[in-house]
Amino acid sequence: MNFALLAEYGPALGQGLLNTIFLSVVTLAIATPIGAAIALIRETRIPWIAIPAAIYVNIFRLLPALLVLFFSFYALPQFGLRLSPMTAAVLGLSIVGAAYMSEDIRGGLAAVDQGQYRAAKALGLSYPHIIRRIIIPQAIPLIIPPYVTRAIIMVKATSLASLVAVGDLTGEAVRATSITYEPFMFLIMAGALYLLLSGALALFQMWAEERVARARRPRTSLTVKAAQV
Amino acid sequence: MTLDFSILGTVWPALLRGTLVTVELTAAVLAVATPGGILVALLRGAPSRTLRTILATLSWICRGVPPLLLLFFVFFGLPVIGIKLPPLPSAVIAMSLYMSFYFGEVFRAGLNSVPAGQWKAAEALGLSPARTLIRIILPQTIPAALPPYISHATEILKGTALAAAVSVPELTSAAKQVFVVTFRPFEILIAAAAIYAILDSLLLVLQIYGERWAARRSAAR
Repeated sequence: MNFALLAEYGPALGQGLLNTIFLSVVTLAIATPIGAAIALIRETRIPWIAIPAAIYVNIFRLLPALLVLFFSFYALPQFGLRLSPMTAAVLGLSIVGAAYMSEDIRGGLAAVDQGQYRAAKALGLSYPHIIRRIIIPQAIPLIIPPYVTRAIIMVKATSLASLVAVGDLTGEAVRATSITYEPFMFLIMAGALYLLLSGALALFQMWAEERVARARRPRTSLTVKAAQV
Repeated sequence: MTLDFSILGTVWPALLRGTLVTVELTAAVLAVATPGGILVALLRGAPSRTLRTILATLSWICRGVPPLLLLFFVFFGLPVIGIKLPPLPSAVIAMSLYMSFYFGEVFRAGLNSVPAGQWKAAEALGLSPARTLIRIILPQTIPAALPPYISHATEILKGTALAAAVSVPELTSAAKQVFVVTFRPFEILIAAAAIYAILDSLLLVLQIYGERWAARRSAAR
């Protein structure tokens, strides 16, 4: 390990890490609501909105994410829309991420027993009400694990931004590597930092699952008490 | 700016060459990572605890870092330890490395779906462990392993686009090479997207037939 080089390129790597975190947070913040909206739209099974949503999801799941990034970075200027590398990367990664994420969320929604729909409908609840109060609360525990897995994949995918001129963690590590001819040091450091980021997301998963479990507990104890009475 | 798809009339040979490299790369990664995955799955069940820990750690690292970073690691790292390879083989090595671990999980689940009694029964019949694996166990893992196997194969196909970063002339980098010259990125990227969509769809058709075939086989049993 060469500490002089580390001191020289450390700040750039730190900036790269910040850019990677920024990309990840913004991409997730955009892709999550869009993915959830698409999942709900497809669940309505109303053809004129569900079919376009399905086409969107299936087109972007067929393409390499890098190709979509090239679209937003190289092809949009052809229509007079010139985005900064960071904006282009956020746009491309969010569009692709939302498509995959909607599938994970839809899986959770579909796993809720269909009898719940019919029961709620028989009780006279409106469709938005059924979704909001009956289906979503039951789907969330099922969605958390695949959601976090997807979030980790999306954090790793932010490394593609380095190929459209964003100085993210991968980009800065590769730049330092090609200048110093020090092949392992910077790439190993970058790899360790990515593992830390996915570790943080795994911790979030544990926290979220614990919280969901805690939120459910009082209700069960009430039912048990009611049963005892 | 108006769209002009007639540009594809002049650039199609470059895109075709890129497509062939993409197919070649996908096939090569599948050819290396499939036996690699079987090996990982078998070693994960090995009696040595040290070996299992090492494999689990390697698997965690290779699946936890971005594939692109792993690709750069192999691309910059191999020459330092004295192995000079052209970009294409380095890309195959890097992608096979992490895909072997993904396939390892797929095949592990497949192996677990075969009842342990099958090993014992084959042993009682005097079959060697290798023969048992090839003739008895692996064929039975196919129904469980096939769907996730094909979906990982489409991941490989899409993942080959990363090889553009180490100047492998596959479809994405071929597209980039022609659009930086012709200034028609939109039309050319649409063409590349269509080619990826077709290749992906071919794999999905294969999956549908494969699943039907597996269902017929298990029904016959």
